[in-house]
Amino acid sequence: MKDTPRQITLDEWDARYEVLRAAGMSEAAYGGPLRRHVKDGDLRLLKLRCDNSAASLRLWNFLLTEEDRLHEARAAGKKIVGAMKDLGTVPVIAYSSPNLVAFYPDGAWWIPCVEELNAGLLRIADSLGVDESFCPVRAMLGAFLTQEHFPIPDLLTCSVGATCDDFSTIAQRLNGLGYPILWWEIPNRRWPDPDELAVSLPGGFCAPRPQVDFVKSELERVREGLETLAGEPFDAAALSAGIKKANQVRRLLAELRRLVFTAEICPLPALEMLIAEMFAIHFCSDQNETIAVLQDLLDEVKNRIQANQGFFSGETVRVFWVNPVADLRAMNLLEECGGRICGTDYLFSHALDEIPEDLPPVEALARMALSDPMVGPAADRAERICKDIRSFGAEALVFSRVPGASHCATEGKVICDVVQSKLGIPTAEIEVPPISDSLRPTLRSRLEALIETTKDQRK
Amino acid sequence: MICAGIDAGSRAIKVVLLDAESLEVIASGVRDQGIEQEALARQLFEALLEENDHRRNEVSRIVATGYGRNLLSFADTTITEITCHARGVRHLVPDATTIIEIGGQDSKLIRLNPKGVVRDFAMNDRCAAGTGRFLEIIAARLGLDLQALGEMANRSRSPAAISSMCVVFAETEIIGLLATGNPPEDIVAGVQRAIAARVAAMAGRSLESPIIFTGGVAMIPGMTGALESALGHPVAVAPQPLMTGALGAAILAARL
Repeated sequence: MKDTPRQITLDEWDARYEVLRAAGMSEAAYGGPLRRHVKDGDLRLLKLRCDNSAASLRLWNFLLTEEDRLHEARAAGKKIVGAMKDLGTVPVIAYSSPNLVAFYPDGAWWIPCVEELNAGLLRIADSLGVDESFCPVRAMLGAFLTQEHFPIPDLLTCSVGATCDDFSTIAQRLNGLGYPILWWEIPNRRWPDPDELAVSLPGGFCAPRPQVDFVKSELERVREGLETLAGEPFDAAALSAGIKKANQVRRLLAELRRLVFTAEICPLPALEMLIAEMFAIHFCSDQNETIAVLQDLLDEVKNRIQANQGFFSGETVRVFWVNPVADLRAMNLLEECGGRICGTDYLFSHALDEIPEDLPPVEALARMALSDPMVGPAADRAERICKDIRSFGAEALVFSRVPGASHCATEGKVICDVVQSKLGIPTAEIEVPPISDSLRPTLRSRLEALIETTKDQRK
Repeated sequence: MICAGIDAGSRAIKVVLLDAESLEVIASGVRDQGIEQEALARQLFEALLEENDHRRNEVSRIVATGYGRNLLSFADTTITEITCHARGVRHLVPDATTIIEIGGQDSKLIRLNPKGVVRDFAMNDRCAAGTGRFLEIIAARLGLDLQALGEMANRSRSPAAISSMCVVFAETEIIGLLATGNPPEDIVAGVQRAIAARVAAMAGRSLESPIIFTGGVAMIPGMTGALESALGHPVAVAPQPLMTGALGAAILAARL
């Protein structure tokens, strides 16, 4: 099954699948040809170019069968937790119990892209007064109303406070439609005053002790809610085991990121890396399988690096990408324009840092939650981005705005300014809606201009 | 040998033929853009060659730029407008540090390093309020051409405040202003101010002089003054502002 790495179309994947199968590829229960997802409505696959490895096939199949997994979990008697506006905290607690499955309803923001608007979820959100001036996460409202995607969770949790205003509105609208939510509050992270006890957070940040204690108390409430749902208490040992498992995922991703972003020849394209990174926040509804999928991907990457195989020429510009895109095609586009991803901040960099294992578990989770880039100043986020740009050797930055998302409305300017002044590398801001086909020429122009500018600066 | 630069913009196609050795312009031409973009560009290019007694095989390289650059299959390569305008302006104004380009459907702010290489750039291509399109809409509403519109703006004593962020709503606002007896020259000057304010927002706080204004909108009277007011810096119009993209493309064709 050793073939030259290539990005291939769905048509090419049909033939490729048969070749891999004939060569004895073993597949997970959710395996099968990618084409079947198109029949389920995932039309966007027809326009994407995907990596041709068996490991990437597994990654895609795992991603696109999450809804099936959730329905199976319910049928098996497990309780389902919808962890909203939560980039990596509540799922760690939930997966400490074998009776719970947590998922990320906000992930419905990709349904309009993957189904090329066919599901009509955005239209439903429009009809509820949550129009395109809000973040595409509003698609989640439609998914709750149609009940044609994920099963309605047994418990919904949602962080509120120093997170995204858009999402708070969307979640409150959902609440108003009759879906009870266990809210938990996260304060705006600030640096401690000189007379306050400072607590170190993952990612190099600091917060005053009272803030950490407050988040701890909020997470204790969440824990109680989850215990009631699970029908069993989560003791410290169970939570510590949950943290260790989450860290296993984070370590795999850290290694994957290090290898892919620093390799001389790019061993894995941007699209597959984006999807792999997203697993950090919610484990795609199966923590054990997430570990297996990522391990497979990591092995493939190591093999390619060892064989000196990969994508793109040496001229390719090394780009740091900020924020996930609503239209997955944007990742292919960057590569068509002559860039490759060497570093990312998809809004959940804290979910890639290991959770401290030498602290009481809720204290450790509170510290991790407070290191969320969205709950602190944009300047803090910019500093971390600069640090990562240096470590991955990126030469340019793309700041991808999420349309309507208020937490991003001004931070693009802040981040670009800090990166330019500290590192002197070129930056470009783009905005990617769920279907960006009509904007492709303008997106292409910006990305190509960034690539040209970076290459000119090399001279 | 000859090199050619073709700027396939949203409103006009511009072609420059350049002596690849001396970098002197042999010929240049402009025509309106249309649906058959490739055919129109090819016709203009071939007409320029013929008018100047040159043949196609004398052209060693063609670089296409502009919105429609990827549609020109007869070009050897494509380069974005950012790089081409930077090269074209710097060729004409060697100490240019900041470039503002306002075209029919977008506006750009380009910062150059001391060597004349693009340091960074910002683009507005999602909103017509910062582009020449805004002026076209107002010109159509007033029944004037763009040149006359600009001259009218110069007569304004008290530019109107256009508060709408959206051109479509701004048009409604302008209808209201006309209906309430506001002089057209004040309205036109107000529109120019609104466009300039958009560009100033894109520029942010740090601007280095000399600032060179290029693109089709730079030819409209009144726009330079509006930009100077909004930016708080002197602004100079590039020589032949409509052609700097095509000129830069031709220079890059010669240097590739």
